[in-house]
Amino acid sequence: MRVPYRLHVNGRRQVVDVPGDTPLLWALREDLGLTGPRYGCGVGACGACVSLIDGTAQRPCVQTVEDSRGSRITTIEGLSEHGDHPVQRAWLELDVAQCGYCQPGQIMTVVALLAENPDPTDTEIDEALRDNVCRCGTYPRIRAAVRRAVELTR
Amino acid sequence: MITRRGFLTGALVVAVPIPGGTAPAGTELAPTVFVRVDRRGRVVATVPRPDTGQGVRTMAAVLVAEELAIGVDDVTLEQAPGDTAAYGSQAVANSTSSRVIAQPLRSAAATARCLLIAAAAARWAVPAEECTARDGRVRHPSHRPLPYRDLVVAAAAIDPATVPVTLTPPEKWRLIGRTRAGRADARDIVTGRARYGAESAPDGSLIAVVARPPWIGARPETVDDTAALAVPDVVAVVRLDPPAAGQGGIAVVARSMHAALRGRAALTVTWSGGTPAADSRVWLDELEAALPAVPGTPDLQRVVRLPLLAHAPMEPMNATAHVTGSAVKVWAPVQDPGGLRNQLGATAQVFPTLAGGGFGRRIETDAVMEAIACSRAVGQPVSVRWTRDDDTRHDSYRPMSVHRLTATLDATGMPTGRTHQVVTWPLTVSPPFANPIVVRASGDHFPYTVPGTVSVTLRPAPLRTGFWRAVYAGQFGYAEECFLSEIARRGGHDQVEFRRRLLPADSRLRRVLDAASARAGTGDLGVACHLDYGSAIAVIARADPGARRVLRVTAAVDVGIPVHPSGVKAQVEGAILDAVSTVLGAQVTVRDGAVVQSSFRDYAWARITDCPEIEVIVVPSEAPIGGLGELAFPPAAAAIASALAAGAPVTGMPVGVPVG
Repeated sequence: MRVPYRLHVNGRRQVVDVPGDTPLLWALREDLGLTGPRYGCGVGACGACVSLIDGTAQRPCVQTVEDSRGSRITTIEGLSEHGDHPVQRAWLELDVAQCGYCQPGQIMTVVALLAENPDPTDTEIDEALRDNVCRCGTYPRIRAAVRRAVELTR
Repeated sequence: MITRRGFLTGALVVAVPIPGGTAPAGTELAPTVFVRVDRRGRVVATVPRPDTGQGVRTMAAVLVAEELAIGVDDVTLEQAPGDTAAYGSQAVANSTSSRVIAQPLRSAAATARCLLIAAAAARWAVPAEECTARDGRVRHPSHRPLPYRDLVVAAAAIDPATVPVTLTPPEKWRLIGRTRAGRADARDIVTGRARYGAESAPDGSLIAVVARPPWIGARPETVDDTAALAVPDVVAVVRLDPPAAGQGGIAVVARSMHAALRGRAALTVTWSGGTPAADSRVWLDELEAALPAVPGTPDLQRVVRLPLLAHAPMEPMNATAHVTGSAVKVWAPVQDPGGLRNQLGATAQVFPTLAGGGFGRRIETDAVMEAIACSRAVGQPVSVRWTRDDDTRHDSYRPMSVHRLTATLDATGMPTGRTHQVVTWPLTVSPPFANPIVVRASGDHFPYTVPGTVSVTLRPAPLRTGFWRAVYAGQFGYAEECFLSEIARRGGHDQVEFRRRLLPADSRLRRVLDAASARAGTGDLGVACHLDYGSAIAVIARADPGARRVLRVTAAVDVGIPVHPSGVKAQVEGAILDAVSTVLGAQVTVRDGAVVQSSFRDYAWARITDCPEIEVIVVPSEAPIGGLGELAFPPAAAAIASALAAGAPVTGMPVGVPVG
C-alpha cells in the first residue's frame, strides 16, 4: 500500500508521496526539488549524490525512501544559507570545479570527513574521497581545497 | 577583418567580422549579438558555445570584462541558443572554442566601450581620446565620472561606423592572462544550484528511459509492454527506430524516474540480428592482421595495440524535448547546439544547458532524437535519461587501433628515418572520418625532425565509434612517443636531451620541453611532446612501476595568450588524469556481443588515490590564443606509460594488463 513518507530534510519536515522502494535520490530531486545531489550512476559507485544522512556521508541513490524515515538528511542545498560553508569557500578559492557535476558529492563527503576528523592527513583525505569519481580530473585541486577548508574551519 | 597580429597588439579595428551582423537596434547598447549593455548598465555576454567544463563561459567573462573595464564577476552570462546564422559554428570540438570566439567577443565589448566613451565625450564636449573607461564608468580629468547606465541610450544612438574601435593593448591588461577569478558559475556549482540537463527540463516533463539492445546491433523483434504499462505512473511505451530516433530501443515514458525504471524492467522484448558473438580481443587481432608488410629493413620496430575507450561523462547522456505540431524545443547538454538546430530545421529551438562533461560524446545527438520521438508520441515534454549502464554500454567509443612503428638508426642510436602504419576504424558518427586522409590529418602531428611516412588503413567499424578527446591524435601520438622513448632508451640517451636534439632550435616545443624539464626532477622519466591546435606542450612523468603509481607529472604549455590561467591549468590537469586513467587500467571490452563494463566500478577511471602530484607551467607567449582542451592527453598518456613501463617497451594501453 502506498502511504506518504515523512522525511526530515535540510532542517524541515517534508512529506513525499512515492512508493517506499523509491531511491531517496529520486524523492529528493523530483518530489522535493533538491537537485544538488546529482545522478551519476544509481549504484553507489560514483558519489555524485552524496548527502549527509544522520551526519555521515551516504549515497541516496542506493537508499530507499522507506529506509530514510526518521533520518536527518542534509543535501548540498542545506549546507549553508549563502554558499559560505568553509568547504564551499575553499572550493571557490581554489577554483576546483571544471564541469562541476560531481562537486556537490565531493563537498558533502569532505564536510562529513572534517566533522569527524578536523585535521586529516593527505592519506586520510584521499581515502575519504576514494569512491567519489571526478571525470574532469579536479583531484589535485580537491586535495588543496580540503587543506584550505581545514584552515578556514579553524 | 582583425588580423591575428591586430588582435595581439590591439590595433585599430575598422570592421568586426560577426556572422549574422549586428543585434537589433533598441534602447540597449548592443554592438553585436555577443555583447550588450542594458539601460541599468548591466553588461551581458552571450556565450555562443556550451560549457562542458572546458571553461568557455569563464573565458567569455574575462574577455568582455577586460574590454569593458569591469570585474569578471560583473559580467552577466547568457548561453546562446542554437543558431549558426547568428553565432557561427557553435561546436565544442577540435579545441576551437577559444580560438574562434575570443575575437568576436572581445571586439564586441571593445566596440561597446568605445561607443560609451564617445557618448560621454559628446556630452562633455571633449575629445574621446581624453576619456577612459574604468570600473564601469567613463572618466575625464575635468568631469565627474559617468556610469555606463547614464550613457547607454546615447551610445546606442551612435552609428558604430563613425567611431574608431581599439582593443585594450596587452600592456594595459588587468584580466587577460592575469585574473585570479575562478570559474564562471562556480557559486552555483558549490551550492548545487547549477542546472545541467535534467535540471533544465520544463516543469511537468515526463521522464523516459530506454530498453537498449542487449548486444551490438540487435533490433527488437517482439515487444510485450503489458506489464510495463501496468506499473503505476508509467504513461506510454514508445518504439524508437534508428537512426531517426537515435540508437534505437524501447522507451518507457513515466511520471517519475523510478516508475520509468520499473517499467523498463517489466518490458519483455525479444531481440534479433546484430553480432551476438562479437569479442574485442578478436577485433584487435583482426586489426593487427591487417597491418601492411614491414617496410624496408628497419633497425627497430614495435607494434602497439590500443583499446576501446568510453567517454563516461559524470552527467550521463540525457535530453528533453517538447514537440508541438511542427515546432520542436530542446533543452539538453549538447556540444554542438548550432549543428543540432541545423539538423532539426529552422523551426526548432535548441537551448544548451551546462554539461556535466562532454569529451566528444555530446557532439552526437542520439539522446535528443530519442527525446523528440518520445515527445512526439505522447504530446508532452519528455526528458530522456540514460542510466550509467546505458551510457557506458551504448557509447560511441574511441576506435581500437593497432600501430606498427619502425625506425632506422645511426651509429649513436639516433633515428634517421621512421614509418608509422596505423590500422583502425573510422568514426561511424561522422562521415568525413571514413576517409583515411581525414583520419591521418586528425592523428598525425609528429613534431620531430625525423623524416618518415605514415599510412592509415581503415577497416569497417564493428560498433559505434566517435570523437574522444584528442580524437586520433590520442592514438597516433601515444604510439609515436612511446616508440621514441624505446629508441632513446635503447641508445642510452637521456629522454629530454634526445628530444631536444630532434626539435628545431627556438621552437615552441623546445621552450616548453626545457620549461618542463627544469621542474621535473631526475630519474627514469617518461617524456612526450605535442604540437596541435596552435599550442605546444611537453609532459614529463615519474612513476613507481612496482606499485603501479604515477608519482609526479610536470607539464609546460604554450597556449598563446592564456586568457584565464587557472582554466588553462585545469584543462591540462584534466587531460593528465585522463592519461592516468587510461594507462593504469580504464578500457572498454566486448564479450559475447556486449560491452562488459557498466559503471565506474568496472570502467576503472582514476580515483583521487591514483592522482599524482601535478605541476602545470604556463609558458609566457605572444602567440595567438591556441586550443587546449585536447592538447595534453596524447603526450600525458605517452609520458605516463613510458614511466610506468620501467624500461620495457610500451606495447599497448593500458600498460601491464591485457588490451582488448
